[in-house]
Amino acid sequence: MVLTMTKLKNEHGLSKPNEENRLARAALNIFARQGILIVFVIFLIGFSLFSERFFSADNVIAVIRQASIIGVIALGVTIVVIGGNLDLSVGSLLSCCTVLVVDLHDILGPFQAVVIMFCAALVIGAINGYLIGYLKLNSLIVTLGMLSAIQGITLIYTGGQNVDIQNQSDTWFTFFGRDYLLGIPVPIFIFIGLGIITEIVLRTTSYGRKIFSVGGNPTAAIFSGIKKNKIVFSTYLISAFATACGALILGSRVMGSQNNVGQGYELLVLAGVILGGTSLIGGSGSAIRTIIGVLILSFIQNGLLLLSYPYYVQWLVTWAVIILAVWFDIASTRGRLFTSY
Amino acid sequence: MKKTIKLTAFVSALMLQIGAAHAGMKIGITQNNVGVDSYQTTYDKSIKEAAENASDVDAIILDAGGNIARQIAQVQVQDLIQQNVDAIIIWPTNGQAIVPIVRKANLAGIKVIITNSNIAEAGLEFISAFSGPNNITQGKYSAEMMCDALKGEGQIVQISGQPGYTTAMERQKGFEDRLAVACPNVTIVETQPGDWNREKSQRVMENFLIKYDDIDGVYAGDDNMGIGALNAAKAAKRSDINFIGATNFAVGYEAMAKGEYYGSVYQSPVDDARAALQTAIDVLNDKSVPKMNYFDTPKITEVNMWKFTKPVF
Amino acid sequence: MSSTVKKIKKTSMLKKLKKITFEQPIWLFILLCVIGFSFSSEYFFDLNNFKNILVQTSTIGLIALGLTLVMINGNIDLSVGAIVALSACLAVDLQADFGMFPAIIIGLISGVVLGALNGLIVWKTGVDAFIVTLGAMIGIRGLVFVYTEEQSFFANDFAFSDMGSSSIAGIPTLALILVGFAILVHFILAYTIHGRNTYAVGGNRQASIDAGIRVGPNIVINFAICGFLAALAGVTLSSQMGAATPNLGRDFELWAITAVVLGGTKLTGGVGSIVGTFGGVIAIGILRNGMNLLQVPSFYVLVIMGVILITVLFFDRQVNMRLEKEVGR
Repeated sequence: MVLTMTKLKNEHGLSKPNEENRLARAALNIFARQGILIVFVIFLIGFSLFSERFFSADNVIAVIRQASIIGVIALGVTIVVIGGNLDLSVGSLLSCCTVLVVDLHDILGPFQAVVIMFCAALVIGAINGYLIGYLKLNSLIVTLGMLSAIQGITLIYTGGQNVDIQNQSDTWFTFFGRDYLLGIPVPIFIFIGLGIITEIVLRTTSYGRKIFSVGGNPTAAIFSGIKKNKIVFSTYLISAFATACGALILGSRVMGSQNNVGQGYELLVLAGVILGGTSLIGGSGSAIRTIIGVLILSFIQNGLLLLSYPYYVQWLVTWAVIILAVWFDIASTRGRLFTSY
Repeated sequence: MKKTIKLTAFVSALMLQIGAAHAGMKIGITQNNVGVDSYQTTYDKSIKEAAENASDVDAIILDAGGNIARQIAQVQVQDLIQQNVDAIIIWPTNGQAIVPIVRKANLAGIKVIITNSNIAEAGLEFISAFSGPNNITQGKYSAEMMCDALKGEGQIVQISGQPGYTTAMERQKGFEDRLAVACPNVTIVETQPGDWNREKSQRVMENFLIKYDDIDGVYAGDDNMGIGALNAAKAAKRSDINFIGATNFAVGYEAMAKGEYYGSVYQSPVDDARAALQTAIDVLNDKSVPKMNYFDTPKITEVNMWKFTKPVF
Repeated sequence: MSSTVKKIKKTSMLKKLKKITFEQPIWLFILLCVIGFSFSSEYFFDLNNFKNILVQTSTIGLIALGLTLVMINGNIDLSVGAIVALSACLAVDLQADFGMFPAIIIGLISGVVLGALNGLIVWKTGVDAFIVTLGAMIGIRGLVFVYTEEQSFFANDFAFSDMGSSSIAGIPTLALILVGFAILVHFILAYTIHGRNTYAVGGNRQASIDAGIRVGPNIVINFAICGFLAALAGVTLSSQMGAATPNLGRDFELWAITAVVLGGTKLTGGVGSIVGTFGGVIAIGILRNGMNLLQVPSFYVLVIMGVILITVLFFDRQVNMRLEKEVGR
C-alpha cells in the first residue's frame, strides 16, 4: 500500500515523489504505528510537569493498582474481541461475582466462596459461549440481554440489600485486594501476571493462533478444520474467568458490596481494549497493548485528579483520546488521513 | 438498573377488608434507595413494620433505587393518578428535582410529607410537613468534634455525600459554617463527593493521601463513607488521622471501640421511619403538626459511646 | 382439479401468514402478550392503560426511531442516552434565562449538532461508528456533568411540566408526538431518495460509493436526525418530570437498540423498517406495563426482559438460517 499524504498530491491526484514526501512518509509511518504510545508519553510528560506528585512511586503504584480490576477483565474481553465478538455482560457479571463471594464468605468460608464464585462465573460464561458460539446469535445483543438478566439475578439473590463481611481484618481473603508482596500490591501481580500469561498463550500456542484465525477469517478457519464453535465458546469461558478474577480483587478490597458495584465497567473495559489497538472486527490484538490501553485511561484519570479537576472532566478527555487514537491507527493502515469519499 | 419492590395491599385488598369503612388511610411511600446502605435498608424494614402495626393504615411502599426519574414516575403514575392515596411520604432522591411533582400532588389534594432529606426551599410551600434529622445541626456537631480532635489546628479533607442530595448539602454547610467560627485554624484543603458509597470513598481517600502529605482529619458525610476512608488510610499506613462522620453505622461503632474512629452522630433509622409515619397519620387526622419535625441526634464519640447501643445497621 | 386449486390457495395464504410472522415475528409476539396479559390482569385491556403505555414508551420510542435510521445505514449510535441528558438539562436550565420555548429549541439544536458531529467523524476518519459513539457517550456525559456541576434542577415555569402531562382531544400529547414522528420517519425511509440511499449505504457501502451515491452526507444526515430525536426524547422526558438530572438517560441506548433489533433491523445494516421498530418499542412497553400490573417484582422483570431478548433473537435466527446459505458467520 502506498503511503500518501493527501495534500502532497498534484492536480491529477498523483503523488509527488520528492524529499519532503519521503521524510513526511517516514514520520507518519513511525508515528502512526506507535501513535498510541507516543500520545501516552506526551501525556505522562505533561502531567508530571504540572503536578510533582504524578511520577512519585506511591502514585504510580496506586494507579496501576486501581487499574488492575478493569485491566484483568479487559484481558478476558480482549480474547473475545480477537475472536470476532463482543462481551457487554462483564459489568453485571462483576457485580454478581463480587456480591457472591462477599456474601458466601461469612456463610461458607472464604475458600468455598471463591470456588463457588468461579463456578458461577464459568456457568454464565458457558451460557454466553453456547448462545454465541453454537447457536451463532449476535454477540452484542446476547451479551446485552445477559447484562440485564445477570443484574436481575444479582438483585434477586440479595433481595436488594447490601452484603458485608464481618471481621474484615481476620481473614486471608484480604490477600487479593489489600495485601502486598515484596512491597507491591497483590492486585498488580495478578494483573501483570495474567497479562503475561495471556500474551504467551496468544502468541505461542496453537490455541492462540486459532483464536486469531477464527476472528480474522472465519470461513478460512472452518475450512482448515478449526472448530469455530468450540473456540468461540472457550473465549467466553475465558472472559468469565477473567471477570471472576476481577471480582476477587474487588471483593477483597471492599469486603462489602452493593448490588450494582460493577455497573459501567463494561464500557471502561471496552475503551481500554480499543485504546490498546485491538480491532473490534476481530483477528488482531494483543494482551500487552490492552494493558497499555487500560493504563492510559487510568493515568489520565489520575493526572486530572491530581490537578484537582473533577472526575467527570476525565470523560471529556477519554472521548477525544479514544477517537484520536483509533483514527491514527486506521489512518496509518489505509495510508491516508481522511477517507476518500 | 435499580428497580422497585412493590410490597403491600392495593385497593382491592383494602376493599376486601371486612369492616374497614372510611377510616382507612391510604399512604404511599417512596424511599430514596433501599439497597444503597444498611441505614436505608433498616429504615425500609422499620417503616414496613410501623405500617403493619398501625391500625387503619394501608401502605404502598416503593423504592426509587436512587433514580430520581423513577421516583417522580412512582409519585405520578403509581401513587398519584392510579391509586388516589390520601398522603405520600417521600424520601427525595433529589431535593430540587422533586419539586414539580410534589406541587402536582399537592394540587390534587394529596398531603405530602418529606422524610429524612428535605425538599428544596421552593418546594416547602407544597408540603404538609418534614420529618427527619436536623442535618445542619449534625454538621455543626461534627465540626465541634473535629475542633476537639484536632485541638483547634490542622488540615482536613471532606468527603461529602451524593451531590444534589439535601442531606449532604446541609451537613456540609453546617460543618463548614461551624468550623469557620469554632476553630478557624482548621482548614479544609479539599472536598470530594463519596456518593454515600464505601468503595468510592475509599478511592477518593486514596487520592487525597497521595496528594497531601499532611492530613490531620477527615470529615465524612456518614460513617459508611468514613469507614471507606479509614480503610484507605490503614492500607496506606497513615495512622495519625482523625475520622469524624455522621449517621453512626455499626462499622463506625466498632471502629470507635477500637480507637480508630473519633466520633460520629447517632441517628436511628427506626426513629426516622416511625416519626415519618406518625407525622403522616397526624396530618391525615388533622392534628396541628409543625412544619419541621426534627428528632434528636446526639454526638457519639469514643468517650460516651457506652451510653448508646450499637446500631443494628 | 378443484382440490388442487384449493391446495394452492391454502398454500399461498399460509405463505403470506408465514411471511409476516417470519419477517417481523415481533407482531405475533405482541399479539401473544396482549392476549396473555388481558387474561391475567383486569387492568390491562383498558383504553387508559393503552394510552399510558404509549406515553411510558414515548421516550425510548423516539430514540429508537432515530436509531433505526442509523442502524439501517450500517452504523450505530451509543451516545443517544447522553444526548437525552444534555438536551434535558439545557431545556430546563435555560428557561430562567431565555424563556421556555427558546430553551427547548436550544436543547433540540444541541442534539442535532452532536449527532452531526458523530456522523462527520464517522465519515471523515473512517473510525467505526461503535467506537466513535462509544467515545461520544462517555464525553457528552462529561459535558452534561461539567455544565450541571452534578446538580439537578427543576423548571421554574410550571407550564413546562404541565405540558408533559397534557392531552389534545383526549390523546396524550406525548403519544401524539411519538406516533407523529414515527409516521414522519417512516415516510423518509420508505418514500424518499434519502431513505433509499440509506438502505443502499447500509447494505454495501463500497458499492454505494461506486454507484455515485453521496455516502458521507447521507451518513451525517442520519446521525443528525438520530441526535434530534434523542434530544426530543430528552425534552419530553424532562417535561414529564418537570426536572432534569445529569444522570438521565443512562442505559437508554441499550433499550433502544433492543427495541430496534426486536423489530427486525439487522445490526449489519441494509435491513429494517420503522414499522418493525415501532413493534419492538410497543413490545417492550407492553411487557413492562403488563408485568407492572401483575406486580412482578422488578428484579424479575430484568431477568425476563433479558431472556426474552435472547429468545426472540434465537427465533429470528432459526427462521433466517434457511434463507442464509453461508458457512460460518
